[in-house]
Amino acid sequence: MKLKDILSPFYVWKRAFEKPYSINTLTELRPGSPTYRGFHKNDVSKCIGCGSCAEICQNITIDMVPVSETKDGDSGLRPRFDYGLCCWCALCVDICPTGSLTMSNAYTWVEEGLDKDVRETYCFTPGVDEKHWENEELGYHRPDEYELLHLNRLPMPHLPTEERITSFIEMVKGYSREQAVKEADRCIQCGICTATCPAHMNIPAYIKAIREDNIEEGLRIMYETNPLPGVCGRVCTRRCEDVCALSHRGEAISIRWLKRYLSDSVEGEKYNQILASEIKPQNKTVAIIGAGPGGLSAAYYLLKMGYSVEIFEQNKAAGGMLRYGIPEYRLPYDAMDKDINYIVSLGAKLHYNTKVGKDISFDELHARFDSVFISTGLFEASKLAIEGETLPGVLYGLNFLEDVTHGKIPELGKKVLVIGGGNVAMDAARTARRLGADVVVIYRRREIDMPADHEEIEEGYEENIEFHFQAIPMKIEQTADNRLEFIWGNAEMKQLEEGKRPVPVMIEGSRESIIADTIISAVGQSTNYHWMEGEAIANIKFGKWTIEADRWGKSSDPKVFVGGDIFNRVADAISAIADGHRSARAIDSFLQSQTE
Amino acid sequence: MKQLDTELSKQFTLSDYVEQRPELAFVTVEKQQLVPLLTYLRDTKKYTHLVTLTAVDWLEVNQFQLTYLLHNYETHTDIGIRVKLDRDNPVMETIHHLWEQARVYQRELHEMFGIDFPGSPGVEEPMILEGWQGPPVMRRDFDTAKYSLETYDHRKRDTREPEIYMKEKLYPED
Amino acid sequence: MSDKYPPIVNGKSVYDLESGKYLKMWQGPQHPGVTGNMSLELIISGDQIVDCKTHVGYLHRGFEKLMERRRYINCFPIVCRICVPEPDTNEYLFAAAMEDLMGIEVPERAKWLRTLNMELSRLASFLMWIGGQSGAFGHGTVAQWALAHRDFVLDLFEEWTGARIYHMYTTPGGVRGGTPEGWDNHVERVLQGVEKFLTEVNHVMFNNAVFKSRAVGLGIIAPDMIDRFGVVGPVARGSGIVRDTRKDNPYLIYDQLDFNIETETAGDVYARAMVRWKEMHQAISLIRQIIKRMPRTGPLHITLPNVLHLKVPAGETYVRAESTRGEYGYYMVSDGTIYPRKITVRGPSYSHAMALLEHLAVGVNIADTHGLMLSLHTYPPEIER
Repeated sequence: MKLKDILSPFYVWKRAFEKPYSINTLTELRPGSPTYRGFHKNDVSKCIGCGSCAEICQNITIDMVPVSETKDGDSGLRPRFDYGLCCWCALCVDICPTGSLTMSNAYTWVEEGLDKDVRETYCFTPGVDEKHWENEELGYHRPDEYELLHLNRLPMPHLPTEERITSFIEMVKGYSREQAVKEADRCIQCGICTATCPAHMNIPAYIKAIREDNIEEGLRIMYETNPLPGVCGRVCTRRCEDVCALSHRGEAISIRWLKRYLSDSVEGEKYNQILASEIKPQNKTVAIIGAGPGGLSAAYYLLKMGYSVEIFEQNKAAGGMLRYGIPEYRLPYDAMDKDINYIVSLGAKLHYNTKVGKDISFDELHARFDSVFISTGLFEASKLAIEGETLPGVLYGLNFLEDVTHGKIPELGKKVLVIGGGNVAMDAARTARRLGADVVVIYRRREIDMPADHEEIEEGYEENIEFHFQAIPMKIEQTADNRLEFIWGNAEMKQLEEGKRPVPVMIEGSRESIIADTIISAVGQSTNYHWMEGEAIANIKFGKWTIEADRWGKSSDPKVFVGGDIFNRVADAISAIADGHRSARAIDSFLQSQTE
Repeated sequence: MKQLDTELSKQFTLSDYVEQRPELAFVTVEKQQLVPLLTYLRDTKKYTHLVTLTAVDWLEVNQFQLTYLLHNYETHTDIGIRVKLDRDNPVMETIHHLWEQARVYQRELHEMFGIDFPGSPGVEEPMILEGWQGPPVMRRDFDTAKYSLETYDHRKRDTREPEIYMKEKLYPED
Repeated sequence: MSDKYPPIVNGKSVYDLESGKYLKMWQGPQHPGVTGNMSLELIISGDQIVDCKTHVGYLHRGFEKLMERRRYINCFPIVCRICVPEPDTNEYLFAAAMEDLMGIEVPERAKWLRTLNMELSRLASFLMWIGGQSGAFGHGTVAQWALAHRDFVLDLFEEWTGARIYHMYTTPGGVRGGTPEGWDNHVERVLQGVEKFLTEVNHVMFNNAVFKSRAVGLGIIAPDMIDRFGVVGPVARGSGIVRDTRKDNPYLIYDQLDFNIETETAGDVYARAMVRWKEMHQAISLIRQIIKRMPRTGPLHITLPNVLHLKVPAGETYVRAESTRGEYGYYMVSDGTIYPRKITVRGPSYSHAMALLEHLAVGVNIADTHGLMLSLHTYPPEIER
């Protein structure tokens, strides 16, 4: 033993004079660090209750519980945390698609007088139950550089613009298998979209089928709620994408393109085999007036239930607005025919070129069939109601598009004006562009107010279509060289009524004009019921625009049902399909009650 | 590593060679040849370090896979030797005479998978689960979540799936 | 002395407690001198141990089984809990095994941050050890200083990762964030404190007659035992074995850092303690190097395919890293589904605390068992997973 080894430890005696390390935590609470993972906070105004937090939690800490206050695209559920189970990993914060869930740096929660089950004690719903850390700024937030979700959608390949404006070839090319699987992988499967879809398609289920490369299962899932997936996969108004959980911080899943991928991946001949189901024949017949999406959808579900279905269509082909309203470059005829042919193959009897009221009377249908489903659609174009509307060269969008479908291409001249801001206006404008004209779109309100699909507006810009906004039409005059002069006044947007959208009001004395060869008006559509005559309509109650019916489309005549654009105010394909499906079930229960 | 595999193949029946990384390979050997192979690798090929010994339960094909992972400190390479055992009669020769710590691994495998290593000291003594009466717990057909729910008193979960809840709330009739 | 020991039959000591010659004594699972929750079943003759059996299982949480029933991302918060004082090795290895099977290369900056994370936790783990080692030989004061300094290191972790013990920072695909502003200065302040502490430890522990007389010559591991018992890490290096995973199989950015393998030759408790003392200095030096050289901009993380339904390609792999106890490894088998087929955690304590300790304890005075056990630096949770 060396002397040094005995003396050396005394070196640290000087420690006795140093300040101790310990701190008094009894009197001074030590706050957590600025990024501390403490108790949860939830901004309930942003939270949509998608349940991703509960899904990723490895320890079933999170229960989704109902709350009273909800909003659009919100499940009405909120995460409730059980701190007996939480392991503070913060994966719930990381995955949160809206970014509403964060953590505070608070870590003390004292409960006094425990008289309830201890397992229920340290449970709370952040943002709903008040806690002292609720307004604490500090605490863990997902770092900017770190992201668990894929927020950007896979770009959809398009035809190049130069090629687009010279042909009617479908401009969207569709996803390849690899792209579709990758896009489907982004989905977190919350199912909020299902509630928003008018047809309540089981979107997460068919996206899962794509991810697992089970195309046939995906097709079956789609047909449970939508017998026109090839159509909807192209032109659906896709309100599902508006509420997609991923759309809050990033881009929604391309639900529409994924639907199209599924439908395009199966050959039409195989539909019968994949979608085969046992059909129990019923000894009842149903007449359907109008072979648009509503009528076709009703026909499909009625056929699957075993009824005999006859469809009366005034045109020479089925599809309604899908065929005669939507241009080929958005919805090619063969894609539409694939869906329609399958419905026809199930045994639907189609009477083309048969206008009810002219070729066959409504009375006769009413007498001959056990039930009648009316889905005639909005086939009349609304008037501009200005001077000069009847001049030659002034067309209506609907008629123009229908003529193009029939192959009757009108002489448009070099310059075309399109009046209106809806999808028909955009279709007319882009069709005219493809026919070689320079196109100007004129709309009463601002760009953000346009009812047309924003993608179509963007693509319109790409195709060099000009836009004039806040322009109120005044009159149309014929010029000396047989062209048309369109005169309008500039408008300013005014908030006239609280809670409603602002209204364009003409600026006094404003007057602008433009010379064109053709003017296409596309300012709205309506319908009429002149074709409904005879004794059969005695029991049917008519509203101002519509036939009055309950949510199942059942009119005051128990035999007569309505659906599609004339029934719902939304006027898009998917709503018509949903109507058809809903009415088919109502017709079924009506006819079943008749048998008993 | 491929070279080693070729060399070993001359003496041993090897299959399913996979080179995961340049310094890590896995290979399957016949059950009877395992101990000679490990001895050869340890004494001749300088794979002197037994990194780990573990089992994988391939319930679907009724097999246990034993993986003996060896490390060579000179070339800094690893070789994993797999052995397939019949799941209905899982018995394997012991290697505790090659590496002392192997008896602990074997004791654990006996307890967790029910794989027997006759002759391994203390192999039948309980190691972790003293007093456990049920089946070997690491076997895939033993469902721990189910056992836990049946055995212990948990707080009742009170959760809902957004999709189902929204249907009930917003469109119950459709 | 040889008649003291009971005969060994079939690898087991055979003794008759009724003879009055032997006494059975339990140390642990609740015992201040035992590392973590494990217990030693000692057979003593006089005050000397003639047979020792380690009992584990007091901390068994069945991680390997839990992981078989969880998605990969849900294993990430679990793995760190396999080793309480040094969780980051587990986080890194789990991520590395997954990335290896998926064929993913993480961004350069994430590699630096992962290394920094592991070195900082190495320091914290060694500080915990030094507290135990000194406490086991009656130097309670050093233990208290050590744990105070460990808490300062944990403060750094709290500021950086948001948590003190389970950092859950190294996520599959990268890391969870950069270092906060001004943090570097805090690190330097803590490192200087630890350096000062280490000097004091040198005076008060390593050059202390009491410590020396107890630690020198205790629990000698001869070089020939190394491979026979699967001894790794500082325990092996204390016996003059020049092996360190960071040098031998460089991972992350260790090949870009400047350090040497620290060894001692005596193979006893004192030598192992000395190796660790040197490695603490080494860790401090590595942390300084990393902070000075690591990239401050660039991606930290690559977003994996959607983690809620991530499938890892079928295959198997083994990854290793040098923890404070030596080679730590993850053997991962994937069957191509969303759940891992099997993850085996190879903790160095496994062989150290069971086979090796049972061997070394024979002949040791009961008062020295704790010191011996601590010198192997075992953490029971990684034995029973």
